[in-house]
Amino acid sequence: MISRTAVAAATFSLLATVAYAEPRVSAISQWSAGAEGAAMNAFGELVGNAGAKWEHNAVSGFTTDMMNKLRADIIAGRPPAVSQLKGPEIRAWSAIAPTVNLNSLVAEAGYEKLVSADLAKIHKPNGNWIALPLQVYRANTLYASKKALDKIGATALPKTWDEFNAMSKKLAEAGITPIAHGGLGWADTALFDVVLAGMSPAAYKKAIEQLDDKTLRGPEVLGAFTQLRQMSKWMNPANAGQHWSVFLPALMKGEYGLLIMGGWASGVMKRGQFEEGKDFLCGSTPNNSDKPMFDLNADGLIFWDTKNPDYAEGQKITAKVAMGKEFAKTFTQINGSLPVRSDIDLSDAAYQDCQRDAAKNLSGAIAANQVVMSLGHNMAQTSAVTASLRDVITEFLHNDSITPEVAQKRLADAADSAR
Amino acid sequence: MSLLQDSGFDAVPGHRRAAVRRRWMARALEQLSKSFAYLVLASVVIYVVGFTLWTMWISVTESTLLPNYGYVGFKHYQRLLQARVWQVAYVNLAIYGTSFIALTGVVGMILAILIDQKIRAENVLRTIYLYPMALSFVITGTVWAWILNPSIGVQHLARTLGWVNFRFDWLIDRDMAIYTVVIAAVWQASGFAMALFLAGLRSLDNDLYKAAQIDGASASRMYVRILVPAIWPIVIAVLIILLQVALKTYDLVRALTAGGPGIATTLPANVVYDYMFQRGSMGAGSAAAVMLLASLLIVILPYAAIQKIRSRKRVDHG
Amino acid sequence: MDRTLSAGYLGRRFVLYAVLVAFAAFFLIPLAVVVINSFRTLEEITQTSVLGIPRAMRWDNWAQAWGSYCLAGSCTGIRPYMWNSVALVVPATIISTLFGAMNGYLLSLWRFKGSNFIFGVVTFGVFLPAQMKLVPWAITLRELSLSNGLSGLILIHVVQGMCFTTLFCRNYYVNVPADLIKAAKVDGADFLQIFCRIVLPLSPPILIVTVIWQFTNIWNEFLYAITFSEGSHRPVTAALMAFSANIAQAREYGIESAAVLLAALPTLLVYLFGGKYFLRGLTAGAVK
Repeated sequence: MISRTAVAAATFSLLATVAYAEPRVSAISQWSAGAEGAAMNAFGELVGNAGAKWEHNAVSGFTTDMMNKLRADIIAGRPPAVSQLKGPEIRAWSAIAPTVNLNSLVAEAGYEKLVSADLAKIHKPNGNWIALPLQVYRANTLYASKKALDKIGATALPKTWDEFNAMSKKLAEAGITPIAHGGLGWADTALFDVVLAGMSPAAYKKAIEQLDDKTLRGPEVLGAFTQLRQMSKWMNPANAGQHWSVFLPALMKGEYGLLIMGGWASGVMKRGQFEEGKDFLCGSTPNNSDKPMFDLNADGLIFWDTKNPDYAEGQKITAKVAMGKEFAKTFTQINGSLPVRSDIDLSDAAYQDCQRDAAKNLSGAIAANQVVMSLGHNMAQTSAVTASLRDVITEFLHNDSITPEVAQKRLADAADSAR
Repeated sequence: MSLLQDSGFDAVPGHRRAAVRRRWMARALEQLSKSFAYLVLASVVIYVVGFTLWTMWISVTESTLLPNYGYVGFKHYQRLLQARVWQVAYVNLAIYGTSFIALTGVVGMILAILIDQKIRAENVLRTIYLYPMALSFVITGTVWAWILNPSIGVQHLARTLGWVNFRFDWLIDRDMAIYTVVIAAVWQASGFAMALFLAGLRSLDNDLYKAAQIDGASASRMYVRILVPAIWPIVIAVLIILLQVALKTYDLVRALTAGGPGIATTLPANVVYDYMFQRGSMGAGSAAAVMLLASLLIVILPYAAIQKIRSRKRVDHG
Repeated sequence: MDRTLSAGYLGRRFVLYAVLVAFAAFFLIPLAVVVINSFRTLEEITQTSVLGIPRAMRWDNWAQAWGSYCLAGSCTGIRPYMWNSVALVVPATIISTLFGAMNGYLLSLWRFKGSNFIFGVVTFGVFLPAQMKLVPWAITLRELSLSNGLSGLILIHVVQGMCFTTLFCRNYYVNVPADLIKAAKVDGADFLQIFCRIVLPLSPPILIVTVIWQFTNIWNEFLYAITFSEGSHRPVTAALMAFSANIAQAREYGIESAAVLLAALPTLLVYLFGGKYFLRGLTAGAVK
């Protein structure tokens, strides 16, 4: 006669072996060092605590190197469980290898209503959630050197482009280089985004996000190029091809006046022992419209179908973690970014004023429907289109002989052939 | 003890059969080693031909992120030829290629001739000239970017030392930036050219030197008229090696100027990489690679033809 | 060789040495910059500039670069990656050199129909740009089930290296007197015996050249190193990229300089000690 406990024990152990898939997750990203690396490590810890083994393969190199690794792994038939991907690339890559449908997990977490519609659209390119956003950056952040402002007697950041130009003129007269700009292709393009969207978010959406020919050849885009040409004269030509962070010390010393960069810059400044309010001011770039505009840059994580039950379990755990509040707080505090969830309280001391300002900017822009996708940061178009537009913009910025009219025509033509 | 001497199977057992067996094994070993050698050689040929043909095929398909075998004709070639960045890249290659090869050759030759003059500390000097070749192009590009940067490098240094109007801002000058790539590349490769030229000069017959001196030629004349022409085959070999370096230059540009300012220093290998991987357009990237190789053949085939003619001459003369 | 101690002669010698020293300075300055930076603190580099005399010496940049700097998720410095590079470069160099000698031997001393054409094809392989071969290699490695780990990279470098090594060796072997081979054949030596007993003993000069060339190129290569390796199996060139490839980060110039020097040390040593033999190998008619 077999005891009931024995039967129970046998059943349990049988069920346990059958249901026992060891959850693991493999991740590929380019976040191999510094704050980004630390943030990924924190992510990994949260996933580990939730029960899945975390293997992060950080590809040291630029985004393209990371994508090459991803491509090689896909060709080899061994895609990672999750990988870093953003913008329209999510749709492009989802077409070449199968992905995991996260709809049920997202619904379960009630996540969709916490995410802005524009952002959500990117991560469900074909209608289903196949990727999750990790963090948001404001690409249209304006930094000003306190010392430089003091020298010309200014106390606040310029609010419109006219004010910006006026301040730049004053800075130039005072012997300060008005604009600190590195001159790498993506930075040049991001500058163009910020200028055009600051003049007319609607025109930006039509021209850059939808590649509408009429708007591309229209007055707003011409105005943006003209403003850009003016700004190029306020930059130090010696800075071509440099990383923007090279000029931080000079900016803080007051040799440069203004810097237009994404929100991640404040993290770098913090690590360089520079203080907001004392060394620099931070806010939104000039915006001619009376409602807030937000130039969005967001990183995402795409979930690949690996046909491996261990990874499938691990992916479920990872998705839950990524949609959670604790991840949102930890990840964004380390990186200096904004959480994707709209219900995170940023009054925590671990957040900087700059981030709070950006978050306010974001919610205002969402309400006014003036969130635009950054072209320079590969959010608006696929890399092929972005690259052809970038060629035009970066050449224009570094070549005085190209007039705004010519640049506009080239931009529209590039969009034509890339369409 | 010629192997050819043995014939037939005499009914002498023992060591004779062993000899036969040994012969058979020796022949089997020879066949095996020969086949292995041919196999290895074949694998290289398959690699070269296969990869090239595959790339040519992809260049006429609509491959984007991954190879996709849908035929689209010569669309990529047409687009590329019209793209500004490709045109700029080719012009840059012409400028950079000729400057780099010529300058490296000249500097290498000068150094070789100078070192050939019975120098003390030859070993030290030679090592100093040769070591840059040990570094990767990425390192070279990065360090030279620091040095040539006007705001932190040579120009800045000169100005702080008192020459306030000193200008050396080629790195950010649209028209001159390509020459900074030349400088860095020449720095890296001159030692190698020097080594080859020096080896060539040293392998020349001493009689040649003596004859030239008896003729009363001055040192420079001796070198220019007699010795350099005598090592002409080595000069050609150096030029070939430098040519392949020039054509494949990618890391150096990426590290030194990131292709900038704007697109002013982009080279074709950068465009191949950019289209293939950054723009997710493998078809266009492959077309760029094919065009790069085709332009190479235009340079190489004449040389190969000359070699063939020369070798035929050699055969004719015994 | 007249050696009159005339003023003219001394003057010429002085100019000669001056020019040589000037060139030496030109070649040494970049190295000096990196060495100096490896002893500076990051604050000083970012506060002043990348070129400068250190005001305060920082000795632990080297230690950090070697053993503790956090790269790509793990805080082990570049030490483990150096060993990976060694594990990659040594077999790849040895195999590609040997195969190159074999190929060169086959193409120059065992002429068969079309051997010159085949040699032309192999030489053409030298010019193939790395970017173009990336995806075909990915596909090839998949078909051979070698997509993981160093063996795939070794295969890539062996095959690609063979184009160079065959080029060097074949051009060297064509100078081996044909009579030597003929005599050996008459004596009954076969393919393998001629290779082992005659050709290889003649080869050290060119083999040294190919070893140095291959060692340097494979050690410094980074495109394939990044794409076909992962995690702790990465060669050191892939790890070095972590220093510079960050848009949201200020570069650790001091540690980067130390790391760069450490990573370049093997190849520098190879050139330091092998340079003499390099020259000797070339003297023996390597690149005619």
